Amino acid sequence: MSKKLLHTPEGVRDIYGREYARKLYVENKVHEIISSYGYEDIQTPTFEFFDVFSKEIGTTPSKELYKFFDKEGNTLVLRPDFTPSIARCVGKYFMEEKAPIRLNYIGNTFTNTSSLQGKLKEVTQMGVELINDSGVEADAEMISLVIESLKGIGLTSFQVSIGEVEYFKGLCEEAGLDEETELDLRACISGKNYFATEELLSERGVAEPYRSILLKVADMFGNMFSLPEAKAMVKNPRSQAAIERLERLYEVLKLYGAESYISFDLGMLSKYKYYTGIIFKAYTYGVGNAVVTGGRYNSLLSYFGKEAPAVGFVLVIDDILEALSRQKIEIPLPDKKKQLTYKQGDMADFTKKLAEARALRSQGIAVELLLEEAGDCLSGKVK
Amino acid sequence: MKEERYLTFALGKGRLAHKTLELFEEIGITCEEMKDKSSRKLIFVNEELKLRFFLAKGPDVPTYVELGAADIGVVGKDTILEENRNVHEVIDLGFGKCRMCVCGPEAARELLQHHERIRVASKYPNIAKEYFYNRKHQTVDIIKLNGSVELGPLVELSDVIVDIVETGSTLRENGLTVLEEVCPLSARMIINPVSMQMETERIKDLVLKIRRKLAEKLKSPQ
Repeated sequence: MSKKLLHTPEGVRDIYGREYARKLYVENKVHEIISSYGYEDIQTPTFEFFDVFSKEIGTTPSKELYKFFDKEGNTLVLRPDFTPSIARCVGKYFMEEKAPIRLNYIGNTFTNTSSLQGKLKEVTQMGVELINDSGVEADAEMISLVIESLKGIGLTSFQVSIGEVEYFKGLCEEAGLDEETELDLRACISGKNYFATEELLSERGVAEPYRSILLKVADMFGNMFSLPEAKAMVKNPRSQAAIERLERLYEVLKLYGAESYISFDLGMLSKYKYYTGIIFKAYTYGVGNAVVTGGRYNSLLSYFGKEAPAVGFVLVIDDILEALSRQKIEIPLPDKKKQLTYKQGDMADFTKKLAEARALRSQGIAVELLLEEAGDCLSGKVK
Repeated sequence: MKEERYLTFALGKGRLAHKTLELFEEIGITCEEMKDKSSRKLIFVNEELKLRFFLAKGPDVPTYVELGAADIGVVGKDTILEENRNVHEVIDLGFGKCRMCVCGPEAARELLQHHERIRVASKYPNIAKEYFYNRKHQTVDIIKLNGSVELGPLVELSDVIVDIVETGSTLRENGLTVLEEVCPLSARMIINPVSMQMETERIKDLVLKIRRKLAEKLKSPQ
């Protein structure tokens, strides 16, 4: 036997025993909560054609995709996330559907990230997509689901930050910025990079008052402005509508009792053009990035031939587990299994123990049947 | 929970850390433990303000901050560009000012005017690559060195180098000169995106204090 065979490649790992029990608990709990909102499960293939995750549609740069070929020479990709696959399914199976479609998925996703940065290349994602509903109530349902899921698995300190990309887009339009400037600005602002924003604005000769307004959007630390203030700063209807939407969203979230977990951040933009309305992220202690990301992407489905609004989010299960363990939050583990031992070669004893085991199992108690001698050495197996 | 949590700072070792602590002192954040030069401690604590500091090698600072092991980091812009991590860059601290430049013997200036392939030695392969590929559209072979990069053109390892230039005296003494400027550099404060959301009040307070102090200094340079 070669020792080399025992290793897994960098970025992937085995999960077993107590750790896997914890993971299953989190998955089941979140699934239960999501199902209670009427979401139906969907499973999509682990790999798809490259085009499904191409630059226009996906959010993972091509160089971070795991690519390979089929026998006909088509390029295939291991899914880096689910949203494009779900959009494809909706385009295929729900083309004529006008009523809201609620879908829930779970599975492993793959990104070929750089080495030695302490990041996993295979993570479990769980998420929902709500299609055919453009209402602010749908947005609120997403955020409420995020909050309930995080609360449900025992997290207490977390924050959901909500932005609206339309505000920024309207502002760029009003200021008359070209597409390249808008894209560069988007990158600077989403990185909360105050100087790069400042530099870019003066380099491209952006005029006042837009310079100051855009800087304010970039600067979470200036005088963090409230929604009415943000609304007063702009004249264009697009940005104003964005703020009004957030105001209405806040009202609906109050009905859910969710307002204490949320904050607004108009500087939250995605590098990708994908999102068309609200965008949100949930943060908690113990992991370096957001554990939940989501938003509205009303134009994505058109790539698959269906014009329909959609909103959704994804929870990274592995990150949530990391956060739970860093915050020392206990997860209720399943009851310890019962062990029954029988004597070697004693048929009568085995018959008796088997009957006992079956009775216990029918009551939902986990029972392991063991040969007597094996009993001692196995006790340490489950850690 | 919020009040008990330490805010952790990762500071790039050396002069940068020194300057940062000086600045922190001016806004009322001190760390007496850190002044004790004989100490072999790795982590220094200010119990009163619930702050923790540690020194790390420059290129590691963005790593600590990205992964959330430190909430806040202070490091040169060169490192931020080279490492390209997911962190928020919020303050230009103004010290440690220098430039990232393409340097070489005067004779090499000609080589930069065309798109022909040249050899570039650098401690900063990513910055060099970005500059030559995306801004100059020139094909280059990049050779990663770990120090004394100026040697590159002298022993004909490379045609030019991409390196930090402060006064330029090392260059001059070795018959090299700045051929092109890539970008200006200085010390920056970076913040972990999660910390930014979870500890907004404390971090905002700190950032505003530093910004005010820096603005004051700018008005009345001693």
